[in-house]
Amino acid sequence: MRHGHLLLFFLLLLAGCTQAQEPEIQPVSSYVLCNKNATPEVKRLWSVLCSEYGKRAMSGVVANVDWNTRETENVYQWTGKYPALNVFDFINIHASRDVNKQGWLDYSDLTPVTEWYEAGGVVGCMWHWQVPANNGTNYTCSPGTQPGETSFDPGKVNDPSSAEYKRMIHDIDQVAGYLKKMQKRGIPVIWRPLHEAAGNATEFSGGGAWFWWGAKGPEAYKALWRFLYDRMVNYHKLNNLIWVWNSQMNDRDWYPGDEYVDVVGRDNYYALQYPLAKEFKQLQAEYPNKLITLAECGNGDEVEMSLWSKIWGEGSRWSWFMTWYDYNYNAGTSDEHQFAGEKWWRDAFNTGLVIDREEMKRLLEVTK
Amino acid sequence: MRAYKYIFTVLLGTWSLVALSLERTILLGPKTIGKAWKDNILIEPRHFTDAKPGDVLTVYNDNAKGMSQAAFQHPKTWQGVAPEYGCFGFAGPFRMTLSDSILNIARTHGIILGGHDYRILRVTLSEASDYEETIVWSGPAVTMKTDWSASVEIPGRCFEKLQEGDGLRLHVSKVQEGAAAKLMDFTWNALAPSVDGMPVGENGVTWFVYDRAPLLKLQLAGYGAQTAMRIGGKGYRLDSIGIVRQTGEVSEDLTGVQRAPREYQLQPGELFRGEKAFPADWSGNLSLTAAPFQESTENDVLLVSYRLDKEAQAAGVKPQLSIRDSRWQEITGAGEPVWYPLDGNDLIYIFDPVALDRVKTRGLIVTGVGFTLTKIELISAQ
Repeated sequence: MRHGHLLLFFLLLLAGCTQAQEPEIQPVSSYVLCNKNATPEVKRLWSVLCSEYGKRAMSGVVANVDWNTRETENVYQWTGKYPALNVFDFINIHASRDVNKQGWLDYSDLTPVTEWYEAGGVVGCMWHWQVPANNGTNYTCSPGTQPGETSFDPGKVNDPSSAEYKRMIHDIDQVAGYLKKMQKRGIPVIWRPLHEAAGNATEFSGGGAWFWWGAKGPEAYKALWRFLYDRMVNYHKLNNLIWVWNSQMNDRDWYPGDEYVDVVGRDNYYALQYPLAKEFKQLQAEYPNKLITLAECGNGDEVEMSLWSKIWGEGSRWSWFMTWYDYNYNAGTSDEHQFAGEKWWRDAFNTGLVIDREEMKRLLEVTK
Repeated sequence: MRAYKYIFTVLLGTWSLVALSLERTILLGPKTIGKAWKDNILIEPRHFTDAKPGDVLTVYNDNAKGMSQAAFQHPKTWQGVAPEYGCFGFAGPFRMTLSDSILNIARTHGIILGGHDYRILRVTLSEASDYEETIVWSGPAVTMKTDWSASVEIPGRCFEKLQEGDGLRLHVSKVQEGAAAKLMDFTWNALAPSVDGMPVGENGVTWFVYDRAPLLKLQLAGYGAQTAMRIGGKGYRLDSIGIVRQTGEVSEDLTGVQRAPREYQLQPGELFRGEKAFPADWSGNLSLTAAPFQESTENDVLLVSYRLDKEAQAAGVKPQLSIRDSRWQEITGAGEPVWYPLDGNDLIYIFDPVALDRVKTRGLIVTGVGFTLTKIELISAQ
């Protein structure tokens, strides 16, 4: 033993320990949908989400690229259970065959959505809103001045004569069309547009937005969110949406307002139990009347995501979680899922605190 | 006597040529290149003294995953030594052809070999003459526009002689920034993940085939006139395609080889074990993620073991270290960094609530000067 180690021994005897504290969840009645005209299906789903909040989390995955449920099949293969939520991405609307004869997918064909919904699944939609890149040929979400990036200005949402405004209207109306079809079929949608707007602008000095919708700062962003909300809810009469806004932490300036948001989400790929619990509690304190959700998660470049049992054990009470897809795994070119594999999903369901598709179906039936 | 001298000289010259044409090992692993671009190794400049433009650096590796990436980087700027080598996918050994500019960097600074999720077994250098190339397609040239819309169909007969271990070299021109190539089978699917948008440089790009699957896909199309491969991409003009085969021999001579630092298997509680220099130029630092601290509690102890750098001390360097979080903020919460002088004994750091919160949230960085870090242990107080 080198000197100092004796001291160390005694210090160890003085050890204390910290226990995760159970977060306080507001009564169910505290959570009110921002759209007063929400469809009965949305109200039922909302009722389940609120009543389960703090007790169990809804499981979810994002679709492999955009318009399928392939990632849910992975979870089923690993665990014998389907996740409750499948989130589709409108990232490739410009390549949808209903608007582009050369397109390679068809968002107007609702088959993947309706099959998932009819099987008892919850439908989510997100939107990596790609606009024309500076080179005039590509589409991208990345702001900047390089040919492959876009100088698209979200601030032009206030300028109806601008080309950007017209593009925004065009794209919103196209997506609204797909969502309207879902509404007509009675499908409620957990809707998460314009996510991660602040990028890492609030994380450190010199940080900034990585999507164009955040590139001009919080005021332009909030105006765009409200514009989108108004166009979809008031103009297109889309009442089948539960609106999820993403926080990048410490970005209250970017929050569109209680009247436009139902759920506050957090995306985290440094998804360790301790920082996750801190973030959950911080968001819960900042937005006490909103559900708080882990809108995206998975292993990151640096760390493996903590097991769900650890995350829950640390005191996180996310309303749901959504793990990211692995293109290579789904293509059969990787044996290991990059973001959340079999071990993680088995642990999640083994906690008994995670809602799968069958359980969600049962819960929704009860509300009828 | 003169004749003997002449014959001897000729023989020596011939032997030298033969000896130089061998593929020789310059770096011997194993060296694990783990997650998150954190690991790398410098291939020392001395290995490139006799190298010539056109020579080929080959990295033999294992433990690669589908998403593994590699990079050959400039040791000073950390940028790729050429645009196509800044970050690329691979399957099997990967290679870099030395150009004038790359050689210039290599001879002056060496080359950093980095990336993520693979293990280097050895790095070799071989001469351009060790590779035999047969042009199998020579146009007409096709310009790959920036919108990925262009492609070219290559008939199956071009690949009849392609074997596992061969390389497919795309000869290109008019290369633009961000140029990338995509090699597809006749059904428009990428032949392998590593060729789904591989970076293209001024000297083209060569894809070495170390997997049977792409060969079988090409074979399915037959070796006739029908399309077996489609090549697309953006920002370059495809002029011709060659099949490259290594014909040189491998030298078993390890004289002068650079050996990677020994890799240790971490024992329970160990967060680092090995030899990590913290030289006088302050370039040394070691990052640990927050993952190993997730179960830590107050009064847990970080035990830092090191060896003092006598040369640095002789040069007047005062050995000291500091512990920061991943944002380079002092983990004690102090506004200014706290420096711990090093006297040769282990450093014991006890987590108070502030430090505990920081390491559990952001991990830590050890920085300092004048020592070689040998071990970091996390000792639980419970």
